[in-house]
Amino acid sequence: MTIAGFIARNALRNKRRFLLSVSSVAVSLFLLVTLQVALRELTNPINDEGSTLRIIVRNKVSLAQPLPARQLPTIERIPGVAAITPFSYYGGLYKGDEKFTSFAQFAVDPVRALDLLSDAKVPPEQLKAWIADRTSAIVGKMTADRYKLKIGDRMPFTGQIYPCDLEFKIAGIYEGTADDRNVMFHQKYLDESLGNPGTVGTWWVKASSVEEAPLITERINKAFANTSAEVRAETERAFQLGFVSMWANIKILIGGISMVVVFALLLVTVSTMSMAIRERFRELAVLKALGFRRRELFAFILAESFGLATLGAFFGAGGAWLLYRSLDMPKLTSGMFVVFEVTPQMLALAFTIAAVLGLLSAIAPMIGVARTSVVQGLKTLD
Amino acid sequence: MALPLRYSFRNVLIRWRSTFATVLGIALVVFVFVLLQSLAAGIEKSSGNTGDSRNIMIVRKGSTAESASLISRENLREIQYFEEIARNERNEPVISADVLVLANLPRVNNNGEANVLLRGISARGAELRPQVKLIAGRWFTPGKREIVVSSRMAKRFANFGLGQSFKAGTASLTVVGWLDGGGSAFDSECWMDADECRSLFERDLYSSFLVRPVDEAAGAKLLERIEADRRFKLKAEKEEAYYQKQTMTAAPIKWLGGFLAIMMSVGAVFAAMNTMYASIGARTREIGTLRVLGFRRRSVVAALLIEGALLALIGGVVGCAIASLWNGYTTATMGFETFSEIVFEFTVTPRLMGEGLIFAVIVGLMGSFLPSVRASRLPVIDALKSV
Repeated sequence: MTIAGFIARNALRNKRRFLLSVSSVAVSLFLLVTLQVALRELTNPINDEGSTLRIIVRNKVSLAQPLPARQLPTIERIPGVAAITPFSYYGGLYKGDEKFTSFAQFAVDPVRALDLLSDAKVPPEQLKAWIADRTSAIVGKMTADRYKLKIGDRMPFTGQIYPCDLEFKIAGIYEGTADDRNVMFHQKYLDESLGNPGTVGTWWVKASSVEEAPLITERINKAFANTSAEVRAETERAFQLGFVSMWANIKILIGGISMVVVFALLLVTVSTMSMAIRERFRELAVLKALGFRRRELFAFILAESFGLATLGAFFGAGGAWLLYRSLDMPKLTSGMFVVFEVTPQMLALAFTIAAVLGLLSAIAPMIGVARTSVVQGLKTLD
Repeated sequence: MALPLRYSFRNVLIRWRSTFATVLGIALVVFVFVLLQSLAAGIEKSSGNTGDSRNIMIVRKGSTAESASLISRENLREIQYFEEIARNERNEPVISADVLVLANLPRVNNNGEANVLLRGISARGAELRPQVKLIAGRWFTPGKREIVVSSRMAKRFANFGLGQSFKAGTASLTVVGWLDGGGSAFDSECWMDADECRSLFERDLYSSFLVRPVDEAAGAKLLERIEADRRFKLKAEKEEAYYQKQTMTAAPIKWLGGFLAIMMSVGAVFAAMNTMYASIGARTREIGTLRVLGFRRRSVVAALLIEGALLALIGGVVGCAIASLWNGYTTATMGFETFSEIVFEFTVTPRLMGEGLIFAVIVGLMGSFLPSVRASRLPVIDALKSV
């Protein structure tokens, strides 16, 4: 019998316990990975290619405060600005939704928006139809699929932020952005419904190059300093991180819970490992008497606990990876989670924790073995 | 014949070393469950605790939140003379037309920024909300750029100390007082003069009206009148009822708590099974002896199930005890309705603890069921022979 075979036999001799231990490690690591994925989704906003160039200009007071429409020509003239469109969050409640609509609707200038939303792929004839009809909208593919919408359908909304209800005719369906859920419609349609208040929600600006983006944000901020509507221009990334900052203590909470899960995991593995070793003290003493060195015995113990933990990681973390790849998360969580991707870093984290677990849980049995003399060990009955 | 309860109880105590890990594992499951549910309970308590039973809140039809509502000044002019509305000793109608503005402000210690809800209130605004108390400084002077901030928010945001001032857009506001909402949603607000607020933030429209009807009957009549009058696109409801619905933020936390508890308990059931199998394995002879003495199979099963449940119950108690350390601790997150920072407390209620304990016992029973069945099926002779 080879040494590897010996270790494997030893590990498997109480199959039930082995299975239970591996499963509890697997479940815990599955949970850990899930929490990490959720945390990433909350704190690490999704990006697409265009987002490196996009600058978002909002009112300095807060996002909820509108901006005067008259700012457009001033921004347009700023050097380095390649394109600009109004971008107003309409925040309507879609017909049939009770409290909460899981996709956003934005009012834009369709012609100007094309440059900014270069990731969104729309067939040219649908685009033309959208530009031509002021009451029409384009819809992200995910939303269209979810509500089984097709071109020509109407989408009625109750305005929750703006005091007007709107109904759009679907002119096209786009895909290719990081989050294909939104509905884009004409700013002019919104303006008319509100009686032309001369305001927009935010401006979306495209920088001519990535290097220039920070300079452009500074120029835009300066251009409106000491005016009645001071602005905050920031890159899309910075804007999204601002959102993340608003989650406040919830981030820390999820992080803390992950720690508790890891700790619980440690407890379970340590106790199983010492249980497994304790019941074979006699055998280990026999091995010692036969002339096996202490470090060889250590190697047996270590290999067994290490193997158990990594196997748990394999099923737990690997299972999470497989599961979240095959599930339709946006549909299941009604749009709360969109990407829900297990990254290589998370897999690495899970395996590292498993490795450390394997090491830690081997320590107590190893000390026990080291302390016991051959005679004592042979006498042990349990 | 049933085994005495003392048998199960003593077994839990005697083998404490081997059961320690299991107990602690279950304790952690219960801890996570109770802690997360206490967050949701805190949000619900803060909303449920808000409002005066006599008041009626009026917002625009269609807006689910006060902060997203817009009401014109013409509506104010008409509604304030409704005879259903109470009048104070100077014969002024008890109505507050409020403006809600979100301001993006820096937190203390450069810890990012968050939206803060600024509420512009009219002269009657404070007396309509008796649960809000001034605990330091003074109230703002109407017409001045002064603001009274929540004392709980003062700990979280920069320059919220008395006498300090902060910038919201172009406006600079001086903090002249601290308010305390008594554990209500007002603890997440800052109050200033409504007209000053409207001019500073260029808001032509009001957000909501809060009124005090003459009596209960007048209140009911007012609700009907506003609903029926087609000139107004407004919705009136009891202030308390309005706030009780503002608990959308609690839903995902509840969901997360349930999900985590179920997932972790699967792990805990495995661990408990491991411990029980080992514990039963170690006393095979003992169980054989019990059977010889005449104890029935089901008595053995019952005794071992009780043992598992007791073990889990200890874990549950420990978990609840750890979670209750957080009780009353103030925390904050973004409120979904207001889109601003809401402050609330971890609220560990007896009900939550009860749920945690029941949960623990279920985990214990599930973990010891298979092992106990196995123990009861051991052939008596073999069991007695085993060492």
